[in-house]
Amino acid sequence: MAPTTQFELAQPPNDAVSSLVFAPDAPSRLLASSWDKNLYLYDTLTTSESGDAEDGSGVSHGTLLRTYEHRAPILDVCFGADDNEAFTAGMDWEVRRVDLESGEQTTVSKHTAPVRRVVYSKAHSLLISASWDSTLHIHNPTNPSLTPLTIPLPGKPHAMAASPSKVIVAMTSRLVHIYDLGTLAGALESQSGEAPAPWQQRESSLKFLTRAVAAMPSDGGYATSSIEGRVAVEWFDASAESQARKYAFKCHRQTDNAAAAGVTDVVYPVNALAFHPVHGNTFASAGGDATVALWDAEAKRRMKVYQKFADSIAAVAFSTDGRFLAVAVCPGFETGMEDYSGEGRTKIVIRELGENEARGKGAK
Amino acid sequence: MGKKKRGHPDVEEILARPWCYYCERDFEDLKLLISHQKAKHFKCDRCGRRLNTAGGLSVHMNQVHKESLSHVENALPNRQGLDVEIFGMEGIPEDVVQQHNQRIIQNFYQAQADRYAATGNPPPGQGGKNPPKKLKIENPDDIKKRLAEHRARMAAHKAAGGAPTHTPPVGAPDGQSPAQSASPGTFNSPFPPPGGQYAGFPPQGAPGFSPPPQYPQGGFNYPPSNLPSRPGSNLPAPSGLPPRPGQPGFPGYSPNASTVDELVASASGQQGDHIDQMIRDLERGEAPARTGESAALASAEEPAPEKKSKKDKDKNVRMVYDDELSPEERMALMPRYAFVPQAQAA
Repeated sequence: MAPTTQFELAQPPNDAVSSLVFAPDAPSRLLASSWDKNLYLYDTLTTSESGDAEDGSGVSHGTLLRTYEHRAPILDVCFGADDNEAFTAGMDWEVRRVDLESGEQTTVSKHTAPVRRVVYSKAHSLLISASWDSTLHIHNPTNPSLTPLTIPLPGKPHAMAASPSKVIVAMTSRLVHIYDLGTLAGALESQSGEAPAPWQQRESSLKFLTRAVAAMPSDGGYATSSIEGRVAVEWFDASAESQARKYAFKCHRQTDNAAAAGVTDVVYPVNALAFHPVHGNTFASAGGDATVALWDAEAKRRMKVYQKFADSIAAVAFSTDGRFLAVAVCPGFETGMEDYSGEGRTKIVIRELGENEARGKGAK
Repeated sequence: MGKKKRGHPDVEEILARPWCYYCERDFEDLKLLISHQKAKHFKCDRCGRRLNTAGGLSVHMNQVHKESLSHVENALPNRQGLDVEIFGMEGIPEDVVQQHNQRIIQNFYQAQADRYAATGNPPPGQGGKNPPKKLKIENPDDIKKRLAEHRARMAAHKAAGGAPTHTPPVGAPDGQSPAQSASPGTFNSPFPPPGGQYAGFPPQGAPGFSPPPQYPQGGFNYPPSNLPSRPGSNLPAPSGLPPRPGQPGFPGYSPNASTVDELVASASGQQGDHIDQMIRDLERGEAPARTGESAALASAEEPAPEKKSKKDKDKNVRMVYDDELSPEERMALMPRYAFVPQAQAA
């Protein structure tokens, strides 16, 4: 509605979005992976830069630069070493490298079940994929001669995030394993084939299935969210005082007074989390209640709740410079599973953040 | 004696508080409200400037940032419009004010009722709902009245020459105690005004009391006349009229008591046992009533917090999704999205 601060991308994906990611360098380059088997590459700013004062409703924002068709729905996407390299996690059990320039796709790794998440660590040149076959595959895309490392997991992974030095894998049964990227890189380098033990093993602070994980850019800790409208913030440091700082809070809930049985708390899953790359204490949470909220992890405060979107939020991402927030809106696939279709109702909304919009006020 | 307000302002005070049209929050004073509105609803997203009104913000956005404001930030879903010009408490549509007041009043009485239910305290000024206290206070009078009545009946009975009556003396307190426990708040109601008792007439409308046929005679037999016939009188006084200090069983009554007291005293002289019994009954009847009541109160109180905590616990939480299988996995099971590796191999 608000013309320049928030706009919908033209030519949205045809079905639900599974993941959004901004390019590491260009702040307007956005990848969206979709259940419609396509990977979408957008330039979010093309029209808003040209059309300055005239903000007619007829102007479409953003340009769909290219789509990359896959064999199966894409469950996750991440950028590789540069803005032209992407990795996708497919329902077809494969991890693929996509050259965004040429459109060339190469299979990097094959799991024995759909691949749920992929992360890439630029600092360590590591590609980590987590699959429902309960394994992690570790690759070094820059050195394909190395035999990929396979790490068995005690549960099905559902969420994964990388901080500068760690990778957090959240699995079923509330299991959370944290691996040290340096150790993983070393194990891959040594080619011993032995899976390194996790740096830390934790139990999730949340009682329900973990939905999303996001790592603090400061490398201090991470946030997890569950299907039961709750977000937990934890720190890597295992010392007692650091662990005492961890907390969890309820969010993405709605009280429904209309129900005859009195007040009903409708609890939505928190589908996505994203830390702000510049204001490292700020993170966004997105829920099935069609809202996105900004939180200050340090001050333990909510900073902002955005206007309700039309449908459930499947994914959020901050651009590298922190100026934009991309929000993937599509009907929630928690309900009405049988004939689900996100067609026509899937949108990607880009919000340009105000200068101080995402800056925390600091702990009080 | 002004009662101390224990942090629960009355409804007028709450209604008088300024409140924000956009988010229904209320504030201590108008200044706070206005600064709240400027900070929460009329603040420019882009430069942080705080405007006075939504219209002002709209103009600011237009002129400074070349943007247009579509809605008021942080407002309730139905209050985001820019069509109403709000500044502090000014500009709020009348129907919204009515709605707000109604909501406040409703919440207030709900909260009050909850508080009373939770604490077991009666609402101020309605002490009548607290029977044990009142009973205690009125006890001496009641005893006196009842004694007088009892005595009068006894007199009537005696005057009738011991003819069998429907109301044996012991029956009087017995017959009345149920009435007492049944409606402790209206303890006095079954009794006629004291004047009726002076005459020695039994209460005409007393429940559970059927006037015996010999009442006319009983009426003529005014206490003094039947005094001589008291066989058990162990005091030298010629009549029951002079006060008898030191009468056992009535230490609390002053010697210069009123006629009723004297009657009571004299009656007690011959029927000390009955009266003692009656007092004991009364005390016993009252004590159990009180303990029973407090027990009832306690039992009413106990479930209350329990109910509350239960309410908190299952506050009818409805989870939109509750499964160990992730939504994605369920999606993956659908033929539309499912991937069959055989197909790929073929």
